[in-house]
Amino acid sequence: MASLSLKNINKIYDNNVQAVFDFNLDVADGEFIVLVGPSGCGKSTTLRMIAGLEDISSGTLIIDGEDVTQKPPKDRDIAMVFQNYALYAHMTIYENMAFSLTLRKEDPNVIHEKVLAAAEILGLTDQLNKKPKQLSGGQRQRVAMGRAIVRTPKVFLFDEPLSNLDAKLRGATRREILLLHKRLGATMLYVTHDQTEALTLADRIVCMSMGYVQQVGTPLELYDTPANLFVASFIGLPPMNFFDCEVEENKLVGTGFNLKLNDSEKELLKYYVGKTITLGVRPENIVKGSDMTLSVNLNENLGQTTLVHGTIGGHKATAKFREWSDYKVGDEVGVSFDRKHFFDKDTTKAIR
Amino acid sequence: MMDAKTIKKDRLRYTKNKLSANLAYLAILFNVLYFVSIYSSDVDTYYYTITIGASVLYNLVFLLSAFLCSEGVKNYKIGYGWFAMVIGVMQFVRILGIPKAAHSAVITLAGEETVVMGDGQFAYVVACLVISGLACIASGVAGVYKTTTLNNYMKEKGLA
Repeated sequence: MASLSLKNINKIYDNNVQAVFDFNLDVADGEFIVLVGPSGCGKSTTLRMIAGLEDISSGTLIIDGEDVTQKPPKDRDIAMVFQNYALYAHMTIYENMAFSLTLRKEDPNVIHEKVLAAAEILGLTDQLNKKPKQLSGGQRQRVAMGRAIVRTPKVFLFDEPLSNLDAKLRGATRREILLLHKRLGATMLYVTHDQTEALTLADRIVCMSMGYVQQVGTPLELYDTPANLFVASFIGLPPMNFFDCEVEENKLVGTGFNLKLNDSEKELLKYYVGKTITLGVRPENIVKGSDMTLSVNLNENLGQTTLVHGTIGGHKATAKFREWSDYKVGDEVGVSFDRKHFFDKDTTKAIR
Repeated sequence: MMDAKTIKKDRLRYTKNKLSANLAYLAILFNVLYFVSIYSSDVDTYYYTITIGASVLYNLVFLLSAFLCSEGVKNYKIGYGWFAMVIGVMQFVRILGIPKAAHSAVITLAGEETVVMGDGQFAYVVACLVISGLACIASGVAGVYKTTTLNNYMKEKGLA
């Protein structure tokens, strides 16, 4: 296992399109990092640059203290797991898992022990004589992981490994990956556009948009203290509600509500008095109260919780109530905000 | 932890017997070289007999049998191992057929006495049959040995 350091990494394609801008990240030994962001944000490109599948236009990549920026993929001691498994259809599971070691001309007995150990970890022992087509999607992805494990690489890279699986299998395989990380204690970088995967798997999340790193932090940091509007809107399901508000001396005035500011909020917003800011409220922070009314458009019961979609002062808003509710279209529900996030309207950065 | 010998046996559970299969393919290759050498000989109508018809048929049977053997031994089917040994021995017997007869035969071509199969060609076809036969037998022996080893190991581990 190894530490990893990316310093001022940029990726510019031949057609002058820049996919990644000044990417900086230090990954500790054994850390699980998740790169998350919408399609086209540069997360897979970053992963492929680490693997050596894409050239790094500028910047330095250091693995375990060694500069590997110019090294070919085979010399980086990295294993990558792909979304489409990339298994050899004509080989058995055993042969697929042993393949990379066979190419390295390792002792067949050593290969055998490594493959059996990996199969044991992944629960594939009974499948070793089968061909990939005889396995389910989840099992195939486990084989792909097994192929990475047997190499005992310095760093594991996962490029949206669960995207081909159905929702139930995705959840189960996600838990397996988490257990695998705990068991191996390996350094792992994982790319996904699914925030649930990011929040559940990561020690730290790197949130990206349009080639830029928006925020790096623990899942709780990204959820609780988003650095800007993008992170606030991307992390959290359903996404955060946003309202434009004018800051007055003691209150926040939005369309359809007036909110009294407490002392810490006054201190936070003292430079914004007379200006318009963006107020962010997570659906779970909209609680029943008397500060404003939510006009119901749609009621979605999810069992333990209910999502109530509607408008507050004409702005679309979604509330998540921890109860089974049965609101009808047009119902007016009295609500309050129990936790607020403030964002500068011009810079989109969080006001802290 | 398994010792090296046990690991070697355990590997048989997950790997094909490629050695035996490849030896069977080798036998097929040298049999092809053998019959190409015979059938391309320009010795007028010497070979136009029932013997050559039988030879053609046997070659077809051999090619099919050797290929089936290669697949059988590859998957640890002990019967195919024994069968490979039999068709291997048959390759040696074949030396006594067409090659031996043609080597001692002389025909008249354009008024001149001509040897049907010279020493060089005779040595070549015999070598082809010998190599083909040895490869078949080796394939069978390796197949039977590995299959027996695997079966015993499976019984020993209670996996059979």
